[in-house]
Amino acid sequence: MRVPWLRLLIVPLVLVPLAWLLFTGLGRDPRLIPSPLIGKPMPAFSGTTLEGEPFSSADLAGKPAIVNFWASYCIPSCVDEHPVLLDLAARHVPELQMVGVLVNDTPEGARGFLARYGEVSWPNLLNADGSISIDYGVTGPPETFFVDARGIVVARHVGPLTPAVVAQQLAALGLTP
Amino acid sequence: MRRMALPIAIAALLALAGLVMVELLRPAPALTQAEQAQGIAGELRCPDCQALSVAESQTAAAAAIRRQIVEQLGSGRTPAQVRAYFVARYGEWILLAPSSPVAWWIPVAAVIGGTGMFAWWWRRGRATVAPAVLVPGSGVREQIREEVEQLDA
Repeated sequence: MRVPWLRLLIVPLVLVPLAWLLFTGLGRDPRLIPSPLIGKPMPAFSGTTLEGEPFSSADLAGKPAIVNFWASYCIPSCVDEHPVLLDLAARHVPELQMVGVLVNDTPEGARGFLARYGEVSWPNLLNADGSISIDYGVTGPPETFFVDARGIVVARHVGPLTPAVVAQQLAALGLTP
Repeated sequence: MRRMALPIAIAALLALAGLVMVELLRPAPALTQAEQAQGIAGELRCPDCQALSVAESQTAAAAAIRRQIVEQLGSGRTPAQVRAYFVARYGEWILLAPSSPVAWWIPVAAVIGGTGMFAWWWRRGRATVAPAVLVPGSGVREQIREEVEQLDA
């Protein structure tokens, strides 16, 4: 029995798309999966700042806010984004609120980082048990969440903040970049 | 032997289906809270490593998640609620195995579909070979050639 050549075509027609799907699927970065928190109220948190003051996410109510997860061992990404954060604070606080959350870091490490790369005006939470990182689904520092004035998470940025990312997200929060 | 292929394939599929049913219906043994926590940790992906579960990983993030699992089970949450908590924060990605039943039925459907197609092809092959042997010469041979060429075109 002769095999019609059309029937042989079925093999590549099935295998090529399947191989392509697997190849591209395996190459994707899982950290870039959109956060399920977007469009939802920000997870509430409270803790102690580097200065030993109590802080609660309720303090952020009523104004757009950014929640920045960072660590002193996160080099170079956190070092790279530090001037961007300082510039953001200089231009937009207090119409924008900022809070840092340490990811698996020590108070000494964090203080050393700030002393070296620039002291900041916004509170930084110790997050010693890592529960805030889990509540925000953080995979690793740096990660930044943008929250609108109603307390709804509007965006998450994975990796160091850049002026372009900040400008885009400020516009989404209704602030002039 | 060829005649037996289809019944054998069907019997194998039925046996497979039977095993799946037994596995699904067998009552799960009662687990202690520590075993439950270990089980959930084994199903969650470690957020800051590659291809390791939270149970296997030594990173601080994995340790924090293990602590949370124990705390949440201790406060009376069911394992399903604990899993849902992590999915709501990290997305489906945090689960090492897909939760959607569709993903599990695709291979079963592929095996059944493949067996069906194979059986159809097998029977069709037998049906077309038999009459060809019975027809000698005459215009029938010409007719068959034309039909085959039409099929190939």
